[in-house]
Amino acid sequence: MSKKLRIIALGLLLCSLTTSMAQHQLGNSRISGDFGFNGMYYIPDSLIGAEPVDSKVRANAFINLLYSNGGFSAGVRYEYYQFPLLDFEKIDYKGQGVRYFFADYKNSFIQVTTGNFYDQFGNGLTLRAYEDRQLGIDNSLLGARVKVTPYKGIYIKGVWGIERLNFESYAGRNDYVRGLDGEVALGELIPKMQEKGFTANIGASFVSKFEKASDEINVTLFPDDTANRTAGTITTDKIPQNVPVWATRLSFGYKGFRLDGEYAQKMNDPNITNGYIYKKGDALFLSATYSMKGFGVAASFIRADNMDFRSQRMQNKNSLLFINNIPAINRQYSYQLIGNYSYASQPNSQIGAQIQVNYQIPKKSKLGGKYGTDLTFNYSRFHNTDQQPVDAALEYGTMAGTDGYTSSFFKFGPELLYQDIGLEISHRFTKQWKLILAYNYITYNLTELQGHGGMMRGHLVAADLTYKVNTKHSLRLEAQHLYTKDDKGSWVYGMLEYSISPRWFISVGDQWNYGNADPNMRLHYYNIAGAFVWNTTRIALNFGKTQEGILCIGGVCRAVPASYGVGLSLTTSF
Amino acid sequence: MKKITTLIIAIAALLVSCDKIEGPYVVSSGREAVTVDFPEIDGGVYRKVLLEEYTGHRCVNCPSAHQKLEELHGIFQDTLITVGIHATALANTTMSFPYDFRTEAGNQLANDFGISSVPAGIVNRVPHTGGWGKDEWYNKIMEVDRSKVYAAIQVINQYDFPATGNLKVNAKVSMLEAYEHPLSLSLFLIEDGIIKPQMDGEEMVTEYTHNHVLRAAINGTYGGMLTENGVLEKGNGYTYGYSVSFAGKDWVPEHCSVVAILFDKVTGEVLQVEKAPVIL
Repeated sequence: MSKKLRIIALGLLLCSLTTSMAQHQLGNSRISGDFGFNGMYYIPDSLIGAEPVDSKVRANAFINLLYSNGGFSAGVRYEYYQFPLLDFEKIDYKGQGVRYFFADYKNSFIQVTTGNFYDQFGNGLTLRAYEDRQLGIDNSLLGARVKVTPYKGIYIKGVWGIERLNFESYAGRNDYVRGLDGEVALGELIPKMQEKGFTANIGASFVSKFEKASDEINVTLFPDDTANRTAGTITTDKIPQNVPVWATRLSFGYKGFRLDGEYAQKMNDPNITNGYIYKKGDALFLSATYSMKGFGVAASFIRADNMDFRSQRMQNKNSLLFINNIPAINRQYSYQLIGNYSYASQPNSQIGAQIQVNYQIPKKSKLGGKYGTDLTFNYSRFHNTDQQPVDAALEYGTMAGTDGYTSSFFKFGPELLYQDIGLEISHRFTKQWKLILAYNYITYNLTELQGHGGMMRGHLVAADLTYKVNTKHSLRLEAQHLYTKDDKGSWVYGMLEYSISPRWFISVGDQWNYGNADPNMRLHYYNIAGAFVWNTTRIALNFGKTQEGILCIGGVCRAVPASYGVGLSLTTSF
Repeated sequence: MKKITTLIIAIAALLVSCDKIEGPYVVSSGREAVTVDFPEIDGGVYRKVLLEEYTGHRCVNCPSAHQKLEELHGIFQDTLITVGIHATALANTTMSFPYDFRTEAGNQLANDFGISSVPAGIVNRVPHTGGWGKDEWYNKIMEVDRSKVYAAIQVINQYDFPATGNLKVNAKVSMLEAYEHPLSLSLFLIEDGIIKPQMDGEEMVTEYTHNHVLRAAINGTYGGMLTENGVLEKGNGYTYGYSVSFAGKDWVPEHCSVVAILFDKVTGEVLQVEKAPVIL
């Protein structure tokens, strides 16, 4: 970024902090934005593995500014991650500058965008350019996008751009992405259909990445046979530079029933994550939901095989340069004690299903009580895909440089990756008292999902009790127990939270690894937190310890280093 | 609507740029496992120097360069290893010089080092466009820092005579010092005592003895890496096996040697070189 641009961005940052936080309106023009700061003072703690930090204090900061006037809008984001929180440094999200800017114009027929943009085709099996600030993911595309609505109910969009790679320069990059997506909303095209309660959408997308093949790939043939181990080479003319993915999708709904499905296929894409195999990749996502008063059921199925699709074939770090996204369909939990056992979607090898049933025991019944009782049952199970090595792979003793394997489409592979059986009961006793009880039995393949540790089988029991003192004051108690003989052993967790709506909240909590096999590692991870909210501004302060583990959001995970210290966060929008 | 359809077709046409690759996708480098046991290194390892001498049988000044080489071998003994590369126009064949000494690897090296006239020499692959004249060779050899002994190379040849005429080269590189760049190992086959014509000044010597002549780059001009990324760790030993067939060649096994060259893939500089006769 040029020095001039940097000064302008810093100026905007300072101005935004010193001026009124109200939304600015000048005629038809409107300026809005948001600011975020997240800092921490680190204290070393050798027991939990929190290493000394030279600079002691680290912080992430960003500001978004958005200008809009009628159909025109433009925006810019300045990010200051030069000395970021340790979590972000570990994933190379380090640097500063304006890495997001755009100009956009739209009317009822067309929308054009230049600069950075986010977008998703269908369920994301072919393209998902998105941002998750908590995970340190920003896969925005820098380029151009056109969306056209030629007729009500017909939507076409095309994208063309280079994917963002943290704070690295776009200059000299030899890779970019282009894509086209079309969708027909039959309900909008045929209003009578919609009137009768039917909705139906069909869509298709095509995404192709280009990456110049400038270096040959070295592989080892007969890797396990020391007498015949041989070096092999995939020459540049055998490396596909243009790799496409295409998908078709369908969604259908009638009253309380809805069905979604998408099938995608990827052409030969030898890369570091699939061990340089030439097999086609494919993915199938199915989801069906039905709901009526007091009852709902949702079932989904996913199969993804060799679908890790990135802008650069040698990139395997974290979620860097992912073009697509294979969604995680398992139920997401916020329970502290199973945070480290969150299932991460496996784009190269997973097949599984999830079912969730919600039932409300009617109000004023014997079991339902005055307010009714909500029951939620869910079950999910994921395996790797079936993989039978092709003849060439058997001949070479490796799949590298071959078609890899064949796979029976609906057959579950031998490795169980994750299983969750859960039951949750939510009951309000009175206006003041509400209780949520949950039980989960989790089976989590640490070796396959985190690279170490074998299989973890654990029973989680959780209780969440809320007492509403009055309309503004409330007290919440959260208690959890994870019983397991695997990994680090059993844990208990307790947290008490007091909130004065809408301004204040304070909480005290502790996680205790009482079941660790090593008595010296039966550690406490305590945390004290408080927050103050004023209009759109939230200031939060916390002090405590965080254990080393993973953080997952929507099946996308990143590593979290152990830390101990004082954290301050500030967010505001204007 | 028609314009939009055209636009979509145009965009789709751009997108249908898929590279469907047909197998086989991987080529074996021909690297083989070693089939011998290497003795322990006795500790007396010193850094040897490679002199690649560019020459030609129609080069009138080359015999004097060959004489210079013999002098240098007298001075540096076995610490100097020479590979004679017949290249440039003066290595072309004619009615009077029908024997073709040229090799694909030799031509490539001459091209890469900008050798346009002979005699010329390159010492340890330190680039110098056009190469050095024979009077500079001594100085260039002396400039090599021999206090840096990065690696030891052991070469054991197994020649299957006369059954197959196959030569199996077994090499081992033992890293004595840390080195950050990727390294590659080249195996050259050279031959001494080839009696063929050579110009010498104004005179054509019909039975001239050609020594150190490059016959083949056994594992390619620039050899192969010993690990996937080419980086070798200090204290570790890396073995490398490769075969070459003498069948249909006029190479005399008793006169041939294998020269193993360990060099930096980034700078090209030679770190170590070793020579072993095909038949002891």
